[in-house]
Amino acid sequence: MGVKIDPLKCTACMACELACGYHRDDAFALLSSCIVVYRTRDKKDYFGVILKEEEDLVIARPEGLEVKRIGAVEEGGGGGDASAKPMLLREACDLCEDRDDGPLCKQVCPVDAVYLD
Amino acid sequence: MEFLASDQIAIVDLASGEVETEEFSDELCQEKIGGAGINLALYNQHADGDPIVLGAGLFTGSMVPGSCLGVVTAKSPLTGQVAHAPLTQYLGMELKYSGFDYIVIKNAAAAPTMLWVHDGILDVEEAGGLAGLDVWAAVDQVRADKGDDLIQVLGTGPAAASSDLACLMNNYWPSGDRFGLGHALAAKNLKLVAIRGLGLLEIADDEEFVDQCVALQGEVKGGVWAGKKGLLDLAKGMGQDALADWLAPLVHRHRANFNTPFAANSFLFLQGDPSALPEPEEAEMGVLLTDLGAAALFQQMGLELGDAGAILKQCAKLGLDAGLAAKVCLDGGKTDAAAISGALEGLSGPVEGLSGPFSPATPKTAVFGVDQAGDDAWWTRRQAVAHIFGLDPLFVLLAPELSEAKLVELAGIGTELEFSQEGLDAVIAEVCG
Amino acid sequence: MSNPLSAVNAYNRGLARGGAPPPPPALAKARGGRAPRYPRLGVYTGAGSSHSWLWFAESLERLGFYDLRFLDHAEIAAGGLDGLDGLAVSGGDTFAMARALGQPGAKALEGFLAGGGLYLGACAGAYLMLRSSQEPLCWFNFVQATIANLSRDLPQPLMLPEKYKTAYGCDYVFHPVREAVGLSCAPGPLGGEELAAPLYGGPAMIPASEEVEVLARYAAFEKRTKFLAPRDLAAETLLGLAAVLRAPYGRGSLYLFGPHFEHPGFPTANRLLAAAIYADLPERQPERGPEEQAALDGRPAKDWLLSIKRELSNSRIVALGLEDHPARWLIGTKVYEPAKLRVFLEALWDRLRALGKAPALRGPADALEGLPGSLARITVQARALKQGLDAGQDTQPLAEELFPGLVGAASQFMKIYFATALAGLDEDRDGRRLH
Repeated sequence: MGVKIDPLKCTACMACELACGYHRDDAFALLSSCIVVYRTRDKKDYFGVILKEEEDLVIARPEGLEVKRIGAVEEGGGGGDASAKPMLLREACDLCEDRDDGPLCKQVCPVDAVYLD
Repeated sequence: MEFLASDQIAIVDLASGEVETEEFSDELCQEKIGGAGINLALYNQHADGDPIVLGAGLFTGSMVPGSCLGVVTAKSPLTGQVAHAPLTQYLGMELKYSGFDYIVIKNAAAAPTMLWVHDGILDVEEAGGLAGLDVWAAVDQVRADKGDDLIQVLGTGPAAASSDLACLMNNYWPSGDRFGLGHALAAKNLKLVAIRGLGLLEIADDEEFVDQCVALQGEVKGGVWAGKKGLLDLAKGMGQDALADWLAPLVHRHRANFNTPFAANSFLFLQGDPSALPEPEEAEMGVLLTDLGAAALFQQMGLELGDAGAILKQCAKLGLDAGLAAKVCLDGGKTDAAAISGALEGLSGPVEGLSGPFSPATPKTAVFGVDQAGDDAWWTRRQAVAHIFGLDPLFVLLAPELSEAKLVELAGIGTELEFSQEGLDAVIAEVCG
Repeated sequence: MSNPLSAVNAYNRGLARGGAPPPPPALAKARGGRAPRYPRLGVYTGAGSSHSWLWFAESLERLGFYDLRFLDHAEIAAGGLDGLDGLAVSGGDTFAMARALGQPGAKALEGFLAGGGLYLGACAGAYLMLRSSQEPLCWFNFVQATIANLSRDLPQPLMLPEKYKTAYGCDYVFHPVREAVGLSCAPGPLGGEELAAPLYGGPAMIPASEEVEVLARYAAFEKRTKFLAPRDLAAETLLGLAAVLRAPYGRGSLYLFGPHFEHPGFPTANRLLAAAIYADLPERQPERGPEEQAALDGRPAKDWLLSIKRELSNSRIVALGLEDHPARWLIGTKVYEPAKLRVFLEALWDRLRALGKAPALRGPADALEGLPGSLARITVQARALKQGLDAGQDTQPLAEELFPGLVGAASQFMKIYFATALAGLDEDRDGRRLH
């Protein structure tokens, strides 16, 4: 079971990122979140969500999900994935294992773009 | 202020380039709560410097639903009165995490200047290189110079130097300022304020505060806005189906303000296929609509949507308030796209009918049939609540669950200070003027 | 759950203040009844070192070792080991370290060990001291043991190809697993404990002399172990072989750790590091000449801190924006990613607030004078790197300037931080830690 993201439901409100930051730091902060809204392409209206898992980097793009194995070798002996150490200082999603109610990001997403599967 | 704050107020004297910092005291928070309440107190304290005060609300950047709002308090060139302009999207949040709770900008600089606010540092920098740039180019330039695409820019455009219709710009898009505060900023020779904050906000009783926020999120989720998204649904919710139908063909996606459940911004694709989802090749695809004001006027004038979008984009680059510009053009009998577009550079007020301390960018008409909506006194009070606590000014109209009693309770849990309904009433009365 | 480091920290702080606190049982056992003494330790930050020297700084700080010196290869060759009780050398590029230290560095190390010095080497710091016939490694044959994880024919890596192997003559040093591995310690300084510690390319070792003692062996794979090679090959390569060695040299001794016992995420391993330090701390304090340290307080200190904070903030803002950027640069034999920028900058940023609370800043005059300029250059270079990446330009030359500069600046910062912390222990009698 893992956190999944429906990028077309997402409105880039960052509630998930804020919730994850709280889960990590017991304070409101965004630097430790393993779920991050990418939102730098304002003028193209292009945004989505990146989730760091133990093995994978899940990139929920509007056009669909992309899952990259962290450090994996690409077919043909290529040079691995896009970033061997993506978000190095952020810990992978632990599904908020200390919470009875499950992942906080899912609980606070106002549009149900974050769900468990 | 140990909790829900960075504990620092900056006083910037643009005339001397000096920056002083003061502690943000518990007493000030307890008395004025935050946002517009404290902005106004600081404005009055520094009134001799004709200040522009930037501030975040008590809950800005927190998990309280709708916690996006920053507030700019200054004298409006259009009304001559002190006004509170809303900073939505990510700007209020960024300010809150920047290491400063409030920034007082007083007097005027001798040369074009910008402020670089980051992690509790406030640098006054020369901005000669930005002086001739339009809003979008200036944002791109600052982000490139500072090396980060998430820098939030409170800026002005070329229109600000001469037009009282110049609004504060929130990166590339209008901020919701309907008071000509872009002109006020330019009068200080201040091109922009660039903000990036990687800070952390401690919470007094964090578990209780977050539990209550999560419960509140659950309550608001079932509210009148549920299942609705963007300005099309908002227009329909206000009974303006024709406006929604007019906008629909070019709408791409809808975006929310920080931690705000209802997504109240909609992007118009002015080129390409609005239904396309992959990242476009082109750098600029259109314009973000952050409220319905200008669009509604252009629709009334009978403009083609594409033409209206192009005017909105032109306004955004000039840093001109499209809603006010549309009104001035309409009042002046300019109602075709070419005439409006041609008139934008050099367009000025006055604008009839502007009054009050809060931006009319937030609709006063009933939305989604919310009880009490349309009542002016209620609208004003809810705006005051939003601007004090740092909540989305539209969402507070849609979410009665964000009651004053609940917010007062959360304020106490989050800060360990004592707040009361009476205290809130007093601050509301002050900020409403 | 109590922090396994807190007892050691309290003990060390007591010693640092000139007291004689009772040692925690594990340290008492390791010390074997000899008189306690607060050690002065060096941390190698010179050419070839990776960011893992920051782990030594972090774990030693948590353990209460504040009397730290941060040394590069030139400082070691120029007598920087004088007065030190121990030297910690962490991971990185072994060949680059050996080349940079050169024969003068090897000679300095030999003198240090012969005089009773303690060497703590992890990963590359361990490889450096193992027996080799190749120049420049052969100048550092201080431990009669060899590398076990050597092979000529290897299967394709399952992941992280750039971390899988390093050319070593006609062979490859190869790394079948990464992350946490299970270890079994022998009785002795490491107390016979079973623990996990992270392996990031460190050696499995084969003693070649009876003087060399195996203190811990690779015993098991963990849930968090990542396999770069098939599991059976990984097991064959590692399990049962030496993970930690102790060897005498002259009056001194060397501890070689395959896994990173200094990694701050592994407090049990950190505690055993302290045990190792106390087990083989030189009996007598080495001679120490007077040290020239500068001090800043009042307005100059505030201004200095503001300038440091400004540049660290500027740089880490850029670094955060690049943290998932796909760029990577090969510098020496090590691959650097943009995320590494944040690793260094956060280590400094995290200590800034504590530094601001100190009554006075202390440290070598050249570090206090040079650090603001060094960090300002980092900001300029980091921004240029971002602009270059955005423009699709070749950023290799910039990266080759930026990363060594960042290491140098981090080293300067740590010199000041720990000098200030140590002074603070004298001044702060209520036991409050600087950090």
